Amino acid sequence: MKIVLDRPRCEGHGLCEEAAPQLMHLDDDGELVLDVEAVDNGDLEAAKAAVRVCPVAALRVA
Amino acid sequence: MQPLKRVVVVGNGIAGLTTSDSLRAAGFDGELTIVGDENHAPYSRPALSKAALLDGGEMTSHHLPPSGHGAQEILGVSASRLDVARKAVILDDGTDVPYDAVVIATGSRARRLGNADLDGPEVEQLTLRNLEDALTLRKRLISKPSVVVLGGGALGMEIASGCLSAGCEVTLVSRDRPLVQQLGPYLSDVFVASAHRDGLKVASSRAVGLRDAGGHRQVLLADGSVIEAELVISAVGDVPNLEWLSTSGLLSNGRLEVDTRGRLRPDVVAAGDVAAFPTRHGIRRVPLWTSAIEQSKVGALALVQGDDAPELDFQPYFWTEQFGLNLKASGFLPLAGPPGFVEGNPHDGPALMRWSHEDGSGTAVAINYRIPIPKLRRLSNTAPAAAPPLTNR
Ligand SMILES: Cc1cc2nc3c(=O)[nH]c(=O)nc-3n(C[C@H](O)[C@H](O)[C@H](O)COP(=O)(O)OP(=O)(O)OC[C@H]3O[C@@H](n4cnc5c(N)ncnc54)[C@H](O)[C@@H]3O)c2cc1C
Ligand code: SF4
Repeated sequence: MKIVLDRPRCEGHGLCEEAAPQLMHLDDDGELVLDVEAVDNGDLEAAKAAVRVCPVAALRVA
Repeated sequence: MQPLKRVVVVGNGIAGLTTSDSLRAAGFDGELTIVGDENHAPYSRPALSKAALLDGGEMTSHHLPPSGHGAQEILGVSASRLDVARKAVILDDGTDVPYDAVVIATGSRARRLGNADLDGPEVEQLTLRNLEDALTLRKRLISKPSVVVLGGGALGMEIASGCLSAGCEVTLVSRDRPLVQQLGPYLSDVFVASAHRDGLKVASSRAVGLRDAGGHRQVLLADGSVIEAELVISAVGDVPNLEWLSTSGLLSNGRLEVDTRGRLRPDVVAAGDVAAFPTRHGIRRVPLWTSAIEQSKVGALALVQGDDAPELDFQPYFWTEQFGLNLKASGFLPLAGPPGFVEGNPHDGPALMRWSHEDGSGTAVAINYRIPIPKLRRLSNTAPAAAPPLTNR
């Protein structure tokens, strides 16, 4: 499974980072950086939680 | 605890969705049923009053990714009653849906202003709560009608901002200074100044009713004045959807008061806009996006783990976008007095601010300033003296 970011949609709320800090973070400019793109089973739940919390649906797990 | 075999979730908003996902994440592999009166998959309500009002041709900013919880969905049907003794949800069409545990996630609906003339024809007032409302509003804004928005809260201000951007002439009716109840005087001033610059007119009075004057819509104000508008949109608060629970025995003081794990009983949890839960500022309803999500996670775990589940210690996160300002706040609102910690100045650029409360907690606010939420939360939680220097810029 892969985490996919729709960058133009992201508004930099960082709620996703809060849900899955091991997978992504906002950099100093407030841009979201995916630290892990290919997620294995261990991280899948965290990835899904991050996807779900984003109020503008900028993230997807595909 | 008895092993759970059958969970029924009532309400298909973000709380219903998150509870269902969280139940699966917590290992629940039994039968899951979602009952919802909206006929579509859950979507982002916050987007409706922001990007969705302004989206170009197609409107997609409210879409949420598809769910993976594999629940049986009964959509387009309302629950009309909850029988906790028989452990069954009774639907509008008479069907009984039995459960081992039930999740109440029926959210809230828009309050409306009454007609001034009780016998007269009902005066049209739009509200913005669901997808259909947003579609209607978008369609109506195309002809650039003159608009009166009732209510100076975050939603009313976001709608007013969207209507101005759509090219309408907009008057906002607000008894108090807009946003003062939600954010406090300092931030209210920041937003009102920006709104005025964008051309918003503010009528400082309470709307007492609507009247139809030969096809014209009129808004009557407490100060005796009358405003005419081609379109009236009300944003005067929300009412929790509790009616279907009136015979359940679960309501106290007319509210659905849950414990720190979202429970009303071991087999009944509630989450989202519908529920009042213990916060550091008393038992309150906190009708916000992250509130719904956090309550849902706690409630789902409580169903699976009982008292071993963690308790909710809710830290509010709020954001809004309007009149060119983008605000993020971590901590309780409204805020008294000027900010105690400032970087920049919200009147002429990006700013990061902090207010301290008597109980030692704080609220951090960023305006037009990109900052990760965990950082904003840390800033709200640190005492000003101990606050680390910010390295975000
Ligand atoms: C326009 C708008 C903008 C917002 N902006 C923000 C924002 O910027 N930031 C923020 O934090 N929050 C915002 N909010 C609030 C946030 O959207 C809500 O707190 C959140 O959506 C609540 O989720 P919920 O699942 O509890 O309730 P809801 O989303 O209301 O879902 C409840 C669902 O249950 C259904 N239902 C009700 N009764 C029954 C019944 N008897 N049987 C079956 N189904 C039933 C409802 O139709 C609905 O589909 C906004 C809300 C609106 C309306
Ligand atoms: S929560 Fe959504 S909008 Fe916010 S930073 Fe993450 S992806 Fe971007």
